[in-house]
Amino acid sequence: MLENVSIGRYYKADSILHRTDPRVKTILYIVYLVAIFMIKSTPALAALAATVILQAVMAKIKPRVLWETIKPLLPIAILILVINILTIRQGNHIFAWKAIIITDYGITRAILMAIRIIFLIVSTSILLTLTTTPLKLCDALEKLFAPLNYIKVPVHDMAMMMSIALRFIPTLLEETDKIMKAQISRGADYDTGSFINRIKGYVTVLIPLFVSSFKRAEDLATAMDARCYSGGAGRTKLHPLKITKTDILVGLFLTLLAALNVVIDLSLR
Amino acid sequence: MPEDKNSILIDNVSFAYGSGDISETSLALDGVSYSIPRGSYTAVLGANGSGKSTLARLIDVLEIPDNGRIVVFGSDTKDDSLFWDIRRSCALVFQNPDNQIVGTLVEEDTAFGPENMGIPNPELAERVENALKEAGLYDLRDRESASLSGGQKQKLAIAGALAMRPDILILDEATAMLDPISRDEFLDLVEDMRRKKDLTLITITHDMSEAIRCDNIVVLSKGKLAMQGKPHEIFSSGKLGKLGLKQPENYALCYQIAQITGCELKPSDLMSEDSLIKAVIKMIPRMVSAYVPDLDINKPEPSSEVIMKIEGLSMSYDRGATKAISDIDLEVRRGEILAICGRSGCGKTTLITHMNAIFMPQEGDIEIHSKHGVLHTSDKKDKKQIRQTVGLVFQYPEYQLFEETVFKDIAYGLKKAGASAEEIKPAVLEAAQLTGLTEDVLSKSPFELSGGQKRRVALAGVLVMKPEILVLDEPASGLDPRGRDEMFKIISDLKARGTTIVIVSHNMDEAARNADRICAIKDGRIIHTGVPTEFFLSGACEETGLARPVLNVFADKLRNALAREVPNADFGDINFESSIEAANIVRAIRKAVKQDA
Repeated sequence: MLENVSIGRYYKADSILHRTDPRVKTILYIVYLVAIFMIKSTPALAALAATVILQAVMAKIKPRVLWETIKPLLPIAILILVINILTIRQGNHIFAWKAIIITDYGITRAILMAIRIIFLIVSTSILLTLTTTPLKLCDALEKLFAPLNYIKVPVHDMAMMMSIALRFIPTLLEETDKIMKAQISRGADYDTGSFINRIKGYVTVLIPLFVSSFKRAEDLATAMDARCYSGGAGRTKLHPLKITKTDILVGLFLTLLAALNVVIDLSLR
Repeated sequence: MPEDKNSILIDNVSFAYGSGDISETSLALDGVSYSIPRGSYTAVLGANGSGKSTLARLIDVLEIPDNGRIVVFGSDTKDDSLFWDIRRSCALVFQNPDNQIVGTLVEEDTAFGPENMGIPNPELAERVENALKEAGLYDLRDRESASLSGGQKQKLAIAGALAMRPDILILDEATAMLDPISRDEFLDLVEDMRRKKDLTLITITHDMSEAIRCDNIVVLSKGKLAMQGKPHEIFSSGKLGKLGLKQPENYALCYQIAQITGCELKPSDLMSEDSLIKAVIKMIPRMVSAYVPDLDINKPEPSSEVIMKIEGLSMSYDRGATKAISDIDLEVRRGEILAICGRSGCGKTTLITHMNAIFMPQEGDIEIHSKHGVLHTSDKKDKKQIRQTVGLVFQYPEYQLFEETVFKDIAYGLKKAGASAEEIKPAVLEAAQLTGLTEDVLSKSPFELSGGQKRRVALAGVLVMKPEILVLDEPASGLDPRGRDEMFKIISDLKARGTTIVIVSHNMDEAARNADRICAIKDGRIIHTGVPTEFFLSGACEETGLARPVLNVFADKLRNALAREVPNADFGDINFESSIEAANIVRAIRKAVKQDA
């Protein structure tokens, strides 16, 4: 039922992007975030799409995996599309009936927003979650935000919490699936009935899921204690982060591509 | 007392969870004293809630005793300056593999302990590499830990422990979720590590055949030390039953023979299987005159009427690439107990999930001959009716409870089906009674019950629908011996009421004892279907990759040894109930000796 969800999952492969230092990837991610929200024109969007495909090839990610990452979030993209179409009133009216007004500007704008959302998901996946294990990502964030330690922000603990949350996504999905199957066996029904009833149906899934998550959290805390975890101080790393020449090259190359896309966009305006 | 550097000293220890106020009733441990020598192999036994896990937590300084003290190789756990030293020298492996893995990749997880200990590279890398090699996981080092099998996950936990280079290794029911073959592999690995590294090994377990592998056994009961000694001393004690424990099947068989012949087994007879067999051979003269109770009540022939017919069922999770189950043809007969056996991941659970149409068949069909006519799981219209006819209870159902009260939780399915309050009440009471739940429990919240009681509630929640077929996935897993027996008592009561039962199990002793027929699955295909004797005689059991029942293996040995003394004894088929098998053996010997005379 939920086997195919792959949000936040790591995809194992031996690629140049997998090997790239997670800090470089995090910074690249921010660069692309900015680029995605600057670009407006169609040719530049096409160029950006080509860049993203190039990234996927560099990361040796199969199209199917990419599709499975996007698929569960499509409803959100569609929702954004519809809301934008219905709420933007600027531009020439194409269709107007009572309160429903659809404009040409509204449509282009809505499509742009939906495309941005998809780019956002794909970039997050390729640059971060699919190619970086949660522990490495946590290392990178810890290092990048280390200066915040001076103003007493518990950077290590936050990074650890995030990494554990990501590690447990597959486990909790499996658990949700089990609970749903068990309740379907007892006559629960999640597919039919009114919207409200369906939402109510999920409450019966959430309660056991919460209870078992607390149990898991407690067990995990004990296990971490038993393995001598005591926060970030004094910890060593099996694979300490080290930026190599290749990392810098990959970083520069992809930053240049992002810049190129933005330049294309600006020059066409 | 001088501090002993070579033992873990548990000195009059009491402990209660929660606030500092220690009342008699809430004590998890109550005045326990014991000493565990360095390098020894100790089993801690006891019913659920007897304080076993608490003891482990106290040794690893996860808790501090309220009274008394624990001194680990000369270091008192109450001494703050020694706290980290003790914890570093002691590694714990817990029951649920999923809840102790921190790292996403195998290698990352193995490194977690030594990283916390501040071990610098290159020693860190070397430790991780060695630990992975020792645990046999080196080739999987960059696999995702979530993608490992249950047995591999527990080996990963061992690798993580070994990388800390501990002196003490504590297994807290670490094998409870493994199938018998994975369990043996796991124990062989741990015992091998113990010999090579001179580890002090402490194992907390419900499994009696695991306990006899140890040097010493400690039995806890309600937080108190109930017994201590060598395995043969513990298992020759008459107090076992009272403490919620059982004899291992091979011991039980010899005890039954001794009882029938009026002989006695000395504790020293229990030292090994050979000494047991020798002791039984000495009983041969007494067998001739023994009165043999006629216990072998012929099981009523199960009806040949088919209630569920599975034809050509196949299913794959990834669109055809690999099949989870393929070409399953199986008939379930009305009123029987059918056990579906196979190793973890063989497709058992996938198969049963088809039985009440949660999975619709991708290929093939399941036909159900219910009271309401013939139903097909391939037909969407029949879905609702099928789910009321076939009750399905998944593994660890206690984690799926959700209502405010036990009553409401049990009633959930009926309410969903639109039953009225007048119909619901008697049905809930009946289901509760069938599962041995008392009426006062019904108004409680399911979350305040014990694990065993929760499982009964979950079972009652399915029984309340009065299913004609009940499908149970590992109904007794994780329960202590008494809990297991009670669960199988419930199941045989249900059978007596005419319910057809399908059990998924990897415990071959229980499957052999309780099932009318066994269906063995390997890699998604049926290897063999037939009565238990046939299954174990034909070699199908080994072919499936399962271990023969302990009793079966031992009874074979014993019969061969006896046949050398009394050559013309005709024993017939091996029975899977130790009391019946004992009677059969004595009867066969008596007959043979009388014929000779």
